[in-house]
Amino acid sequence: MIQLLGDWLPQLLQGVLWTLRLMVLSFALAAVLALPIALARLSANGMLRLLAHLYVELVRGMPSLTLLFLIYFGLPNLGITLRAIDAAVIGLGLNGAAYVSEIYRAGILAIDSGQREAAQMIGMRHRQVLRFVILPQAVRVVLAPLGNFAIALLKDTSVASLISAPEMMLQARDLTSEYFMPLQIYVAVGVMYLLMALPLASLVRFMESRLGAGLPKEKAV
Amino acid sequence: MSEWTRSASMMPELLSALLSGALTTIEITFFSFILATVIGAALAIVQSFPATLPRAVIRVYVEVMRGTPVLTQLFVLYFGLAQIGIKLDPIPVAILGFGINGGALLTEVFRAGLQSVHVGQSEAAFMLGMSRLKALRYVLLPQAMRVVIPPLANYGVGLLKETALASAVAAPELSFYARNLVTKTYLSGPIYVMAATIYIAMSFPLSRLAQHLELRASRGRRAP
Repeated sequence: MIQLLGDWLPQLLQGVLWTLRLMVLSFALAAVLALPIALARLSANGMLRLLAHLYVELVRGMPSLTLLFLIYFGLPNLGITLRAIDAAVIGLGLNGAAYVSEIYRAGILAIDSGQREAAQMIGMRHRQVLRFVILPQAVRVVLAPLGNFAIALLKDTSVASLISAPEMMLQARDLTSEYFMPLQIYVAVGVMYLLMALPLASLVRFMESRLGAGLPKEKAV
Repeated sequence: MSEWTRSASMMPELLSALLSGALTTIEITFFSFILATVIGAALAIVQSFPATLPRAVIRVYVEVMRGTPVLTQLFVLYFGLAQIGIKLDPIPVAILGFGINGGALLTEVFRAGLQSVHVGQSEAAFMLGMSRLKALRYVLLPQAMRVVIPPLANYGVGLLKETALASAVAAPELSFYARNLVTKTYLSGPIYVMAATIYIAMSFPLSRLAQHLELRASRGRRAP
């Protein structure tokens, strides 16, 4: 068994690298795309609000798997052919943006309206209020839920194996067709996901407890 | 765009195949939801007792389930168990997999619900001579449900979409039908758009219901 694990490890570790890469890229895409969506949902322009709301509702209403299939198998008929890994990054990114935009929106709404009013009173324009007053404070509120999103995303990347993106689950499927030991291989893969998820989870708990404490530690001492 | 005109002429048969898949999606969602709720409630109750060993075991179960993808869990149940002679059909595997996975999430939900009930409530119940189980049944659980129902409903919405993964273990649900139709007809765009629409049509009323329950639960709550 130990011997076999040694045989599998190189390929599984390669899968880990792809999984991490997929996660980081789709996280970045989701985090960036989500900001304009969140701002559009809070904008005074009714049309923008409607479009952003529609995007969030539609994307959150379908499985990420369906979105990946649409992108990977559906787009080639329109002449757009993507590599599986790129389709996975785009699909998970577009899917995640809908969720993250809700996190941002909640973060922005959590800032006391007095902050906005005070900034307007000292003559800041709308853009400046957002840039210098609201967003810096919202970041604090948003960090812990973003961490939870990252953990969910790490697990969601496994879906990419179903469009044959070369991440960990696909490497595992490769190995099972070679060694015919799915039980051991998938349990090993589960352990590797766990080893990635647990540190992330404790990081999130740390952020939650720090933000929950209200003040930065150095001031309390 | 001929893809779309071709699919328009085949609409009735495509739609009826996809809808029969949607029925299986609903079936898997329904039964895994029940299984997850039973597991979650039972384990949260066990956790509320002082015995440390069961608590530690439950803790490990919850962390493992929450730290690994459902897809991996499904593959262990379907391909892994078959290797040691336990051959389960795709639909039971899906129900079992999503149920066990959801049970871990809901253990946390029910635990938070039980903890939200003021200690005075259980103390008062004990004072009246109720046993621990009676107090749970008549005093703690009914009050905990108030906190539990909104996240429970949200879990249901997420579960409905998650069942798409059951297609990977060949359970004949919506995504599985969609894939088969695509390999038969090559109409990938229209078929996946139709599948997405059916998912949205199913999850929209559910998420509305969840929002409604959340609103109702937040109304008239006593401040902590």
